[in-house]
This record gives sequence, structure tokens and C-alpha cells, in this order.
Amino acid sequence: MAAELGGLAWPARVQIWDAALAAVRGYFREAGLREVSTPVRVPAVAVEPFIEPIAAPPGLLATSPELAMKRLLVRGSGPIFQIAHVFRRAEVGDRHSEEFHLVEWYRLGADLDPLLADVEALVARVFAATGTNGHVPKTWQRARFGDVVTATCGARLRGDEGPDALVAALPPALAAEVVAALVPAAGADPAARTLMAWTAFFTAWSDMFFETWLKGHEGTHLVDFPAPLAALAVTDPERPWLARRAECHVGGLEIANGYVELRDADEQRRRFAAVNELRRAHGSAALPIDDEFLTELPGLPPCAGIALGLDRLITLAACRTRLADVSLALAGG
Amino acid sequence: MDVSELRKNAKVQLDGHPYVVVEFLFVKPGKGQGLYKCKLKNMITGAVLDRTWRSGERFDPANVESRKMQYLFKDQNGFTFMDNESYEQVALADEIVGDDSAFLLDQIAVDVLFYNDRPVGVTLPSHIVMTITECEPGVKGDTATNATKNATVETGHKIQVPLFIREGDKVKIDTRTGSYVERINT
Repeated sequence: MAAELGGLAWPARVQIWDAALAAVRGYFREAGLREVSTPVRVPAVAVEPFIEPIAAPPGLLATSPELAMKRLLVRGSGPIFQIAHVFRRAEVGDRHSEEFHLVEWYRLGADLDPLLADVEALVARVFAATGTNGHVPKTWQRARFGDVVTATCGARLRGDEGPDALVAALPPALAAEVVAALVPAAGADPAARTLMAWTAFFTAWSDMFFETWLKGHEGTHLVDFPAPLAALAVTDPERPWLARRAECHVGGLEIANGYVELRDADEQRRRFAAVNELRRAHGSAALPIDDEFLTELPGLPPCAGIALGLDRLITLAACRTRLADVSLALAGG
Repeated sequence: MDVSELRKNAKVQLDGHPYVVVEFLFVKPGKGQGLYKCKLKNMITGAVLDRTWRSGERFDPANVESRKMQYLFKDQNGFTFMDNESYEQVALADEIVGDDSAFLLDQIAVDVLFYNDRPVGVTLPSHIVMTITECEPGVKGDTATNATKNATVETGHKIQVPLFIREGDKVKIDTRTGSYVERINT
């Protein structure tokens, strides 16, 4: 079992990070993307229900470079990539660290396919460059969110169910989790309650069913997310109950999350407001809304973007299961 | 306290009992809610249970503290220990010390666990050195199938030791299992 291999020796850690960073840069340069480096301290972050920023007065440490990179796209940057240091408070475990590296990139055109092809190529390239025995997925499959839900727990979901319809469609164990999560959101508006219900469902379903299902699959792109989990993605124009969002998994580990990017500032503002309402119902502080970002958002060219966790990819390349086994952090990790 | 403070070895108050987190796993499905999956051990009874907290929930820290103390003597009030810093003396009832009394050498340093300022348990060093006060002679011709023999140490505790051990020898004992580890050459 890989977990028993333990941490890499320091020279091997330095070598593997050097090889991986060079492989990522080499891949994107060849693909014609420009490298950018946006500020780590930012005035506001994307408003997410369960991603907590770390305060760095007078701003916050970036939880992702997403908003800053989109503002460069608005200014005509063309396709760009970044290897960003990001911070998420209280995410500490074998597969989480409060500070980590996101490889984030954007391509012009409203299409997820080129990004998913990038993920597959990048995984193979990093694994090859590190010269370790990491198991590169031989095959990648696309799995539709609704199909995997049905296959694993039997529920048939379309994606636009309200809280009550969602609860009614779920098996008892999952329904109970959603009902429990809705209790503190009793007074919230319908959009916030729907978001809460779907987020609670996704959390419980991932924990009880999806992680087990993933173990039998090498490389998986989970696509066609339900619209309430769209976050910063567009909904599908022909099937508005679905979001054009994808989540990529290797060896049972989530490594990337991509969107066809939403360019409708009013819709984005409504979604951020719903998230903040959910956060308040949950006892978390509402997050500041980045008004400058929203003002500029209509100028975003049609594009798709994705973020990949580099620490996790290197951990997989090294056949390890804990980020701390490959980390260059000298204390804790 | 916020569940994000949970870690391995954190002390948690749950249903009126103090627990220590013995296993800790943080999982967070993509953009979902973080789950803190813990295996908890009751600090008084030793019973183990599983409990999962979600991010944003709160837990009560258990009011427990561990103090370095020294064993002094036993009388009708139980076993008396002295705090190494305050010199305060505390008597622990027989049932709290339990089987560990077999290893209470004079002046041995132990950790005494207090819950709501009441002593509830003793943690011994994992290994201690004791003197053999009584043992059968290791006579040649003893049945070869039995490589150990009975011996008694200075507290009266009885253990199994190899045949070459003699009265007056010092031996290392694992206090968690109560068994012989090795002879200490003096």
C-alpha cells in the first residue's frame, strides 16, 4: 500500500518539484499560453459556501487566482496560465493543506473539451518528467453526474429539483443529510435553500458513494453538474438544469475543477448573494463581493478555465497518498 | 470551539464524557462541505466510538489536563501522589489506579489525568526497571518446553522471566502489557 512508503527524502522532493514545475511550464509554453503571476493578497475572493479565506489585512490571501486572471482576460491577455500559491483556512489533512499550488489556465472559446484534453496530457507529462513510478491513467472516461448518481445510489435527478423534490428523490440516508443541513437555512430565500440542499447532497453522496465508485476507475471527468452547483460556470443553453462544469479525478483523488466561464454579471451577483445567504445561515461570515470584478465581467471573452492541484498531482506521481510525503514545507505541512 | 480546531489528540467533551481524538481524517469533496471524521476514545472508560463533524459545527473541549506527579505512598485513602510543581498531594482511589498499582515504585514519575479538576487516571512510563525479589532457581534439567519461570518484583507483581534471571537482577518491564522485556546489566 502506497501510504506505507512514507515521505520522500529531501533530495528526491526537490528533484520531483523541479521536474514537475518544468513540465507544467513546458507544456503550456508549447501550447501557446502565456504565464502570469497575479497578487497573492487580494481585496476579495470568489464567494464559495465552504472555502474559507485567510485574512491578510487590508485584504485576504487568494483562495484561487480566478478573479484576477479573468480581469487579465478582460484586458486582452489571450490564453494564460499560472502556477499560483493559494490558501484555504482550516483545510488540513492527508490530502489537504491550508497552503497549496493551483495550476490554473484559461483558453478562449466556450468549450470544456480542450481543457480536459490538457488535463490528460499534463498528467502524463508530469508523471513522465518526474521519472517515478506513478500510475498514469491509460484511459480516461467521461461520466455524467446524473448517471453516476443513479448508478451508485439509485436516485434519478435532473439537476433543477428544489429542496423538497431533491429530498423526495434520494434514498433515506442521503435524504436525512439534506434535511439536517436545511434546518439552519429554514428562513433563507429559495435560491439559498436550493444551493444548501444540493451542496449537502453532493457532500454526503461523495462521502458515502462517489469516492468508492471512483476507486474502480482510473481517470475520470465528471461532467454535466446540476445547475445549483454551477458556482462560476454557465448553465447549458440547451439543458438549463445542467452546468458546464467538470471535475477531474485520478486514482480516486480529485485533481481539477473547470468551468465554461459565466460572463453574466447579474447572474454571478445573484449566485454570490445566495452563497452569502447560505454562509450566514450556517454561521459563517458573509464574504465581500468583488464589485470591480463584477463590473468588468461582461467584458470577459468567451472562455473556459480550470484549476489543477499541483501538490496532489505530484503526490500521485510519487505513488504516495499524503501531500506531506512530497511537500517542500519544512514545518508541519 | 470550531471543528477546524480538531486534531489528533484533541480532547473533546461529548454526552458528558471526556474523549481524546485517536484517529482524525479531514475529507472535503470538491467544493462541498468539509467533514472531520474522528475516532474517539473515552478517557475514563477507554470505550471507542466514531463521530463525524461538518465544517462550521462546534465542539466542546473537555476540561482535562495532565499533571506530572510523583508517587509517594499508599494508605487507607488510596494512592497518594505529589505534584512536581506545586507539591500539592492528591490521593487516588484504588479503582482509579487499578492494575497499574503493580508498577508504582516509590517516587516513580507519572502523568495524572484530571477531568474537571478531579483525578481520573494515571499514565505510567511505558517501560520501567524493577528488581526481582523472588524467583525459582533456574535448575538445569527443568522441562525444556518451558523457557520461562515465575518471578516476583519489589511491588509484589508476578511476572514470567527467562530461566537465567536471578534474585536481585534488575529487569525492564513493559507497563502496558505487564511483561518482561530484558535484563538490565548493572
